[in-house]
Amino acid sequence: MYSSVVRLQNTFGFFTTVAFVVASLVSLSDFLSARTPTVDLLKTTSLQVVKGRPHYYSSKKEEYAIIKFSLDADLSSLFTWNTKQVFVYVTAEWPSLGSQNNTNQAVIWDKIITAPSSDHLANIGPIERKRLKKSAGGKPIDPSRGKLQLKNQRYKYQITHPSGRIASQEDVVLKLHYNVQPWVGILTWNQEQTWGKWQALKGAASKKFALPALKKKDEGKKNKTTRT
Amino acid sequence: MLSSLGSPRQAAAQLMNFGLILSTAFMMWKGLSVITDSPSPIVVVLSGSMEPAFQRGDLLLLWNRNVIEETSVGEIVVYNVQGKDIPIVHRIIRKFGTGPEAKLLTKGDNNPADDTELYAAGQDYLNRKDIIGSVVGYIPFVGYVTIMLSEHPWMKTAMLGIMGLVVVLQRE
Repeated sequence: MYSSVVRLQNTFGFFTTVAFVVASLVSLSDFLSARTPTVDLLKTTSLQVVKGRPHYYSSKKEEYAIIKFSLDADLSSLFTWNTKQVFVYVTAEWPSLGSQNNTNQAVIWDKIITAPSSDHLANIGPIERKRLKKSAGGKPIDPSRGKLQLKNQRYKYQITHPSGRIASQEDVVLKLHYNVQPWVGILTWNQEQTWGKWQALKGAASKKFALPALKKKDEGKKNKTTRT
Repeated sequence: MLSSLGSPRQAAAQLMNFGLILSTAFMMWKGLSVITDSPSPIVVVLSGSMEPAFQRGDLLLLWNRNVIEETSVGEIVVYNVQGKDIPIVHRIIRKFGTGPEAKLLTKGDNNPADDTELYAAGQDYLNRKDIIGSVVGYIPFVGYVTIMLSEHPWMKTAMLGIMGLVVVLQRE
């Protein structure tokens, strides 16, 4: 009794210690790999504001903006052996009346980019999964997935405002953000400043633009969100 | 084996030992709670709505202080819906306004629609006070033990029994 219980305890204790140390080292290794994300292009290609019900559960008609944009970014340096997925998202940001800061933020488009090592976890159909796995060519890390080239990309989420009004809003910008989610360790986002080997994401904001005036349009039936 | 129960002094010492282990664990949890300012600084993922990043049984470390900046769009937060007891882990996708009155909308990365339908009746947005922390760290699998324990109550009883036995029967 004495020896077997104690041995079991010691074995389990040693196992947890080793697992903890290995996990810590893996997560610390993130700081050793350089991150040099760049954005070459982010601009709107089409703007529209219509009035209707943006969702089937919307209780009232409201104005909502639909935006198409083009994006050219290289996030390939974010893919390391500890990267499980990179979540990329584009927000629209605009100030409130009488405020200088962008106090309104809304995600208009996002994308989960899995690392090849987590392809089997992605929520996609079997054909798409096969295609995705094939695209990695058997490599466990595939930085080429971080290269984003979108032309005239349709929004995924239309923008609304609690006030119900958004037409003719001025000083709107689009911004690209990312969130690196690891296999173990801390979650990281795009940075304003450079820390160590991780460079700030520069040029992530589009030029300021104004939303157009309200365009009369019948209902939001055609506005199904795309699920890519 | 039963000899340890013979001496009242030794039995009392072992009871103390058991109590000490329990209270240490409790104080560590509460200490972490004070540091992170979150009622529940470590949570276990219960659903697949943030897959593939977070799966059932993964452990999330939370932080609930706004030292540098406000909780904003893109952060993954754990929130409680008024009147419901289950904490939900989702990402903030919209924020209107600033300060404690800012209106926040969340969505699971893996869900097609935002969380409007998960909120309480008549509630369209969350406020900062509904949030019990933002996810800062991630440890896979470890939390699966608690899911097993809560789904199979007999395991809980068995585990407590074994732990108690080991502590009581252990000799110095």
